[in-house]
Amino acid sequence: MKNKITALLFIIGVLVWVTGCKLDVVPTDAINTSSLLNTSDGLLNVTNGSYALLKDNIEFGGYVDQNNNYLRQYFQMSDFASDDITCAQVTEDPLFYSFTTTHSPDQANSRFFWYISYKIINSTNTVIELTENSADKDAATKQLIGENYFLRAFCHFNLLRLYAKPYSIDPSAPGVIIRKSTSDKAQMARSTVKECYDFVISDLQKAASFMDVSRGPQYASKAAAWAMLSRVYLYMEDNTKTISYADSVINSGKFNLETAKGFKEYFPNAASSTETIFLVAFTTADNKGKFGSISSMIYSDGNSGWGEEFASKSLRDEMAPHPEDIRWSYIDSLSDGNGGIAKKNGIETFYITKFSNQGGDPNLSSPVMFRLAEMYLNRAEAFAKSGNTTGALADVDLIRSNRGLENALYNGVLPSGSSVLDVVLKERRLELAFEGQRVFDVYRNKRSMNRSYWGYHLTGLVATDIDLTKTPQGYANEIVDWTNPRIIYFIPVDEVLANPLCTQNP
Amino acid sequence: MRSGPRKTRILWLLLALFCLTAPSFAQTVVKGRVTDAGNNQTLPGVNVFVKGTTVGGTTDLDGNYTISVKSPDDRIVFRLVGYSNQEIKIGNHTKLDVALTADIVNLDELVVMGYSEKKRTEISSAVAVLTMDKMKDVTSGNIANMLQGKVSGVQVVSGSGAPGSEAEIRIRGVASLSAPKGPLVVVDGIIGGNYDPNDVETITILKDAGATGMYGSQANGGVIVVTTKKGKSDKTQFDFKSSVGFRMADQGHLSMLSGSQLYDAQKEIYRDYGSGKIDILKFYNERPLELDSRNFNWINEMFKPALVQNYYLSARGRSDKFGYYLGASVFGEGGTFKNTGFQKANLRANTSYKFSNSVSVENNINISVNKGSSFDYMDMYYSYLSMPWDTPYDENGKIRYVDGTSTNWWSRDKINPLHTVNNSDHTFKGMDMNYDFVFNARFTNWLSFISSNRASLSSSKSHNFVSKLAAGTYHNKGYISEGNEMGFGGVTTNLFKFNYDTRNHSFSGLAGFEGQGSYYESLSAEGKGLPEGFEVINVASSEFLIGGLNNKSMMSSFISQFNYSYKGTYFITGSYRIDATSAFPPANRTARFPSAAISWLASNEQFIKKFTAVDLLKFRLSYGITGMKDIGAYQYLGLFSLNTQYNNSAAAIPFQLPNPNLTWEKTHQLNFGIDLSLFKRVSLNIDLYNNVTKDLLIQVAQPLSVGFEKKWENIGEVDNKGLEITLSTINVKTPSFEWSTDFTFGMNSNKLSGIGAPIYRTVNGIAQIYKDGGELYMFVLPKWLGVDPQTGAPQWEKLEKDDNGLIINRSATSDYAQATPQEIKSALPDYQGGIASTIRYKNLSLNMNFSYMVGNYVYNFSRRMMDNDGHEPYYNLMEWKYGWKRWTAPGDLATHPSIQNSALSTENSSRYLENGSYLKIRNITFRYDLPKSFAKKLKLEGLAVSASGENIYTFTNYWGQDPEVTISPSSFQMPGVSDFKYPANRQYIFTLEVKF
Repeated sequence: MKNKITALLFIIGVLVWVTGCKLDVVPTDAINTSSLLNTSDGLLNVTNGSYALLKDNIEFGGYVDQNNNYLRQYFQMSDFASDDITCAQVTEDPLFYSFTTTHSPDQANSRFFWYISYKIINSTNTVIELTENSADKDAATKQLIGENYFLRAFCHFNLLRLYAKPYSIDPSAPGVIIRKSTSDKAQMARSTVKECYDFVISDLQKAASFMDVSRGPQYASKAAAWAMLSRVYLYMEDNTKTISYADSVINSGKFNLETAKGFKEYFPNAASSTETIFLVAFTTADNKGKFGSISSMIYSDGNSGWGEEFASKSLRDEMAPHPEDIRWSYIDSLSDGNGGIAKKNGIETFYITKFSNQGGDPNLSSPVMFRLAEMYLNRAEAFAKSGNTTGALADVDLIRSNRGLENALYNGVLPSGSSVLDVVLKERRLELAFEGQRVFDVYRNKRSMNRSYWGYHLTGLVATDIDLTKTPQGYANEIVDWTNPRIIYFIPVDEVLANPLCTQNP
Repeated sequence: MRSGPRKTRILWLLLALFCLTAPSFAQTVVKGRVTDAGNNQTLPGVNVFVKGTTVGGTTDLDGNYTISVKSPDDRIVFRLVGYSNQEIKIGNHTKLDVALTADIVNLDELVVMGYSEKKRTEISSAVAVLTMDKMKDVTSGNIANMLQGKVSGVQVVSGSGAPGSEAEIRIRGVASLSAPKGPLVVVDGIIGGNYDPNDVETITILKDAGATGMYGSQANGGVIVVTTKKGKSDKTQFDFKSSVGFRMADQGHLSMLSGSQLYDAQKEIYRDYGSGKIDILKFYNERPLELDSRNFNWINEMFKPALVQNYYLSARGRSDKFGYYLGASVFGEGGTFKNTGFQKANLRANTSYKFSNSVSVENNINISVNKGSSFDYMDMYYSYLSMPWDTPYDENGKIRYVDGTSTNWWSRDKINPLHTVNNSDHTFKGMDMNYDFVFNARFTNWLSFISSNRASLSSSKSHNFVSKLAAGTYHNKGYISEGNEMGFGGVTTNLFKFNYDTRNHSFSGLAGFEGQGSYYESLSAEGKGLPEGFEVINVASSEFLIGGLNNKSMMSSFISQFNYSYKGTYFITGSYRIDATSAFPPANRTARFPSAAISWLASNEQFIKKFTAVDLLKFRLSYGITGMKDIGAYQYLGLFSLNTQYNNSAAAIPFQLPNPNLTWEKTHQLNFGIDLSLFKRVSLNIDLYNNVTKDLLIQVAQPLSVGFEKKWENIGEVDNKGLEITLSTINVKTPSFEWSTDFTFGMNSNKLSGIGAPIYRTVNGIAQIYKDGGELYMFVLPKWLGVDPQTGAPQWEKLEKDDNGLIINRSATSDYAQATPQEIKSALPDYQGGIASTIRYKNLSLNMNFSYMVGNYVYNFSRRMMDNDGHEPYYNLMEWKYGWKRWTAPGDLATHPSIQNSALSTENSSRYLENGSYLKIRNITFRYDLPKSFAKKLKLEGLAVSASGENIYTFTNYWGQDPEVTISPSSFQMPGVSDFKYPANRQYIFTLEVKF
């Protein structure tokens, strides 16, 4: 009896042990990189993943920070350094350093942005490498390849805008690290700004040639590649090509400017508007609420957000002469209940609503990356720089006539004291306000950023110092000149430490 | 029940008659009584057995025993925890009264070591044993909290006072960077398992590889072996214990300002920097005088005394065939923070059955269920920071709704935490079941087989709900999120054991194999759009999100151990374990873990025996290897994760770089120890160790431009060196008065090497560095140099370095951007331990327990908010420490900068890194054992009442809630960083214990 039980248990034990030796265990919600081509939708899923990374909060530094997604950091790191938005609250959130220009190589938002940009680039490289050598590609596959080239260029270009000197200032300055293969060495040096621009252009041209299928404005397309080429050439001050690619988009017949009436509802509904060339789709599943939505820092319905950064006095002063300008609909003041404007730490509350109200939700929007209005403004700026004042003013007027300013057009006449470039840049500022453009537009045109208005970007400001009847004076950091090294960010510390070939920005 | 003992005795006799195959010897029945040699009181529960057999029983409540022997040469052994064993040759006696001498160490006590048991004198490794008596002073639902300060070299940190939370345990420092886990828990000889503290008989802590090597890859953090109670005496014994008391939040030195204090403090904001004068007109204009008298105490509102209760009932007994223990306990912990609490119920049934003298089985079942209510961090945060000028109630006494549009609310984020707490739920439920089956067969008198098996099932559910009425992001919508998790696991261990003794030589050992597997499944769902008053997923109407996955892990092992001893004086032990796990790539799945230990029981030598004062002198030396693999499954594969979507379509994102060479982390442990016992009064244990962990599993930072942050690699070493001392003394011992003390002391230092480029870890902007020659959990911060007496500006240290990285100049700067982050101090202590003292006078005893930790630094992160130099004028502030001073005029020697010249003064720096050394009065217990005669009148066998105070006071210079701060690096946590945490509990408990 005893021996029988012993034998039985022993055998069972051995069986368990032997089955335990089958130690190959695979995850249930992830796919091995080497098997991506083994499924019918592997490439599609990875391509979708690259878009998803523009909106997803990905683990970084050991945890998923609800603040950390590509677009939130992109908009904050650009617009919060501009003169369109003022800061009403000292905060531990690194977004504060964009206001104060007290950047550091270890600020979390910048580190994440750099990281996630290259993660998308890694993802696009994976698809490009897997498909490079396959002979006959169908249209759908080619479209996917094109999208990956587009996204690779998109990410490299935005990195260039934030971490490298503008092309117009110094094309031979260090650019960013070009990553075009997953098998490249981990340690690589930065290419020059010019090399990076050439790489971006080459990718975009490939992208335009591959893409012939329309998957909707939520995905890259041939027109999106042209639109970005127009922007890239504008930054390079290649007026001819800027105009020619803007024309390609404008003349494609696929896009129309919103009218004044439509523009009021444009941003919450951008996916269904023909003004949109490319946007990043946020669905209800992507609603990041108070703790991570783009709008939560710049708007609150009382509950929806923190609402700590507002439309600046500088921008509102520019818009003040035309209360009928429909673009005021994206600036929303908060009443203090006594007929005045509520103040936060002494700063008047002018909320920004360009990233709200998709489906009625204050925290939901699908941020627009490229839209038709920008093409007219790119073209106008190129016209202005190439001496075509009439063309420039005509494009500006086309925008104004669709924004409720049909009674305030230039009609080919420059206002006295303004250059044609002033007029174009002013219109560009009003039209593209809060869309992550202003800061680059100022510095690449070698202009300085004037932030002589109340806000906590002023070093050492305390609420008791604020006197709204006056302009602040004597604070450091009121004016940031284009020669200031802090018009761009430091390369994140993680890169510089682990990659000695990568030089730091001064 | 009352007839039980007689029946079993008769049964036993019959059995003895039938089973014994040597009828040629006459059977003799020996009777007698066992007493305490010190006070002549009778001793119940003494194990009485014939040496070398399993024949025997225990003494009854009056100390009486009866035993049958076969030969006059038989020796009867009397054994009781806390007393020296007695061994008497039976000769011609039929009546044998015995007096046992209490001993500070019972040299013959059997110590449960996991896979095997050993006599204390035979052990060659660093092992500590705690009986439940030493732990039950603390009322808690888990053992960890009870261990604090009681074992040298064991660091116990209760980082949170949240109901249901468990303290963290670290044995001999931190040996791993990535998965610095606590010790492996082994319950009743089987890895893992669930148990209730009330059911525990003893706890053995295995500290060196000589003992833990047997657990191979799971033993890097040491091993805690828990043994639950079994049937002991042939009379059924019932135990009942009821502990009821209350607890209060222990806010330590933290005290928030009252309304009028804050009113005065805010005047500083209006001080003009130039003139040094306060602009009092502007102040009154912006801070109306009525605020001076608004004094709402948020802390008192959000934290209330709460009830703690623990009831326990057990029955245990045995016959010679059947033994059983049944225990049931209920534990209810109120939370001091609003809307929090924890309840747990546990049932255990341990039974054993002897088919014959050579075959027996055990069936042990433990079922545990719990539920509780947790809290939202932000509610805690606002409970501290809300200003006393705001009150959560309106004129009618109703809780106010406040949101961003509310006027007449001063506090910064316009949130009424009381309203949020009352309109949300964060609850959880859990269930855990273990079934153990142990089969024991003895083939010959030297060979046996034991098969130990456990099946476990656990399931838990979390529930998070925010009502649509609550202010905040879910206002007008409501939010619900629920998650279910389920896990199955199994362990089977099959060992052949041998034990062979000759006159001078003794051999024993075991060999066998073990299989472990676990499977886990989760499912979660969330949604919004809930009608008022409902909180289930079913009523959610929008924004649905779902999640779920499953995973499994497997491990197979070979286990062996060999012991040899010569003349009971020289001991040698060797063990060898092979583990194979699914965690690593095929080539690296198998790892080998050898260990060896030798010891010399010097007190057995004639030349020491001369010194009668020496009861025990033993030298031990051990060396062995343990391992670590707990970095999660699949870490060696290159992966794209499919857990996201884009535009409602499936999406895969780069998740992990392949690591085809990943392998085990291994610790090489060397231990030298001395055990000394003198005069039966003094016991001293000293251990020295050096543990080198090699091939550290580290996530090595990649250039971020690779698209991956980190890659698992095996690099570097951490060396933990330490000294442990335990000194137990019986200072006074008379029949009516006794005083004993226990001191424990543990010192540990650690050093990293072979890492190469330093690795930084940053959470909330606070960084710690891992670098060659450095310590673990070393804070890297700009060094705070106080306030510039001339300008009142904050100052930090700026270092200038030459090309070789050598510091060539140190200067003070008031520009934070210029400050140089530098290594300051580590979160780990230099030494730690405890002091326990027991004083007994007749039936009255007083027990005191202290624990201490020295040299641990704590980053007081929440002080950034509560001591903010005017940067956050709409937060309440903390009361200042004596001697703190704000700069107001040139020449002031101040600790706090001028509010008007304090740019970035609250940025992370060593300003908030404080020495967290402490001495804590963990526990004071008064206990009164009612006289036996009185108990008898009540038909009880024992009755005791006690009153205890726990966590009574902490002596520390740390200026915050509590210097006990988590030391586990987790997603949101940096070891040694104190954010607003659930405060520790100061509790007062009344306990009644009844035996019948």
